[in-house]
Amino acid sequence: MSDRRSPETIARWATESLDTDVLHRLRVPLGLVAVIVFIRPVVSHPVLLGYEQIANSILIWMLFAASFNLLIGYTGLLSFGHAMFLGFGTYGAAIGVLHMGLPFIVAALISVAVATVVAHLIGRLTVQKGEIYFAMLTLAFAQSVYFIANQNYGGITGGSTGLSGALPAWIESYRGVMYVSLEWLRFDWYYLLAVVFLIGMLALWQLVRSPFGRTLAVVRENEELARAVGIDTRRYKIWSFTFSGMFAALAGVLLEINNQGATLHDLSVTTSGDVILMTVLGGTKYFFGPLTGVFVWLFSRDFLTEFETLVVPLSEFPIVRVELSGVLTYWQFFLGLLFVIAVLVAPREGVWGLFRGGVERLFQRFGGDQE
Amino acid sequence: MIDIRQNDATEAVQSDPILQTDGLTKRFGGVVAVDDVDLAVEQGELHAIIGPNGAGKTTLFDTVTGALPPTAGTVWFDGEEITDLPQEARPHRGLARSFQSNQLFNDLSVLENVRVVVQTAQTGTFSLDLLGEGQDRYRDRAFDHLERVGLDDQYSTAAKNLSHGDQRRLGIAVTLATEPSVLLLDEPTSGIGTTETQETAEMIDDLRQELDLTILLIEHDMDIVLLMSDRITVLNQGEVIATASPEAIRDNEDVQNAYLGGMREEL
Repeated sequence: MSDRRSPETIARWATESLDTDVLHRLRVPLGLVAVIVFIRPVVSHPVLLGYEQIANSILIWMLFAASFNLLIGYTGLLSFGHAMFLGFGTYGAAIGVLHMGLPFIVAALISVAVATVVAHLIGRLTVQKGEIYFAMLTLAFAQSVYFIANQNYGGITGGSTGLSGALPAWIESYRGVMYVSLEWLRFDWYYLLAVVFLIGMLALWQLVRSPFGRTLAVVRENEELARAVGIDTRRYKIWSFTFSGMFAALAGVLLEINNQGATLHDLSVTTSGDVILMTVLGGTKYFFGPLTGVFVWLFSRDFLTEFETLVVPLSEFPIVRVELSGVLTYWQFFLGLLFVIAVLVAPREGVWGLFRGGVERLFQRFGGDQE
Repeated sequence: MIDIRQNDATEAVQSDPILQTDGLTKRFGGVVAVDDVDLAVEQGELHAIIGPNGAGKTTLFDTVTGALPPTAGTVWFDGEEITDLPQEARPHRGLARSFQSNQLFNDLSVLENVRVVVQTAQTGTFSLDLLGEGQDRYRDRAFDHLERVGLDDQYSTAAKNLSHGDQRRLGIAVTLATEPSVLLLDEPTSGIGTTETQETAEMIDDLRQELDLTILLIEHDMDIVLLMSDRITVLNQGEVIATASPEAIRDNEDVQNAYLGGMREEL
């Protein structure tokens, strides 16, 4: 068969194969390792945020947003209730430990399993209802879960105060920093968090590049055609929703440890909204899009809140000393502005897409000069 | 060539039709888009469906392929009733269609458009295959389909960036990737130039011979229809007003009044 192909095609195909060599294949795992390694020194730099703990929540939110992007970016489903699955993780782990006396790992596994099953069932009921109805139904389900947790039936969920103090036996808190403490070993909780993050993200990456994940892209692009060529689009969407809920619950379990409990805020519509904003801001088209969005969002939130006076190196001169405390209390306004700009300029590419595009253009200009 | 085809058609008439509709009706509220249509497509023939705009040609395709549930009547394929078979199951039986407008997976590459469909044809309506690199599977098979329609050298272009004519051809490649035995083509030459129309007609002819396809064709270009078809069915206001050979259709008075006459006036 191949002898019928034109020489140019064979040549181009060969070049592409070279492109897809080891480095290209490993770009996502390497990128994830780079995130883990560099995010802490970057955020804890005195000029930036100056404290390390924020890196923990950034990683957890990255995993949460990546699980959400499986829906919005890869399958084209916009859910307004993704916090529900994060909450299944936090509340599941806390309830298991506090009320059932289970070891933390067991409670965590059960809560992720429950979230997966619930996601599957909700998916069966909602995915085929059309965009707006799907958004409204997911919102309604999430609000029901929020309501149940708030009502505190039987004192299980702790009502508006949530549940606190459900920590694994092997976690130790010392001066506000958590450590994993085993008999023979003690290390910062961040490293365990980073390993679970890495495993979760690699699993998500494998999911989207697998034959299953490639079919999700087709369902997103043109559902009518997908069905006409023999794809059961409904089942693909249900399973995408299922996996998305599963990984959100995994992020929830990590959040439970990090916050030393479950709070009602985990389940709130604000959390569902935040994950949409962060993911879209970063770019739904790329695997690293939601990660970028989370970083930009959480970093600028803390940065802008704490940053009250802009001291330019020439601070001796009063003219460049700008009092910002008044302005920056409106940090949400600035983030909102950034969001609007990103969506207007690059609706699917987001901040990460713009960054990538910029780097590529630079690279091309550079390469062009050399040739 | 025409002689050979007519012999084929005569032979085919003796066997059972591969695709058949029996009293097929589709109503939208008070409008009857497809009205009691009995259609029999014989194995191996190229059967054209013509009719003025709004005659119900595309709706007929929609009901045959399961995109729309029929109001009444039955659809038979390869000796089995498929009226209630889910739409996505039909391509796996060998019944595939192309669309009148350019329906593609726009953001994906030309190769990926076809590759995923090859994958689907191999693995069924749903497969929870989470292992390996999806984009590496079935590449060769997908390239074969792209070569057939002459798009193999544009394999890495995004579908949305192709020219209109190339998009139409990619649409056909996507349909071919389902490995059909019966192909429903909805105006494969709509919106493209005269030269490209000629090329597309030749391509369809080649495909038919090479892949041993039965083709049901909706087409507005009368020259192509009269030249290529073994039999022609004329629809008017959802009803079949004639089914016959191209020669007989050309001479049929009803058809001239309903359709060809109208065409001549337009010209």
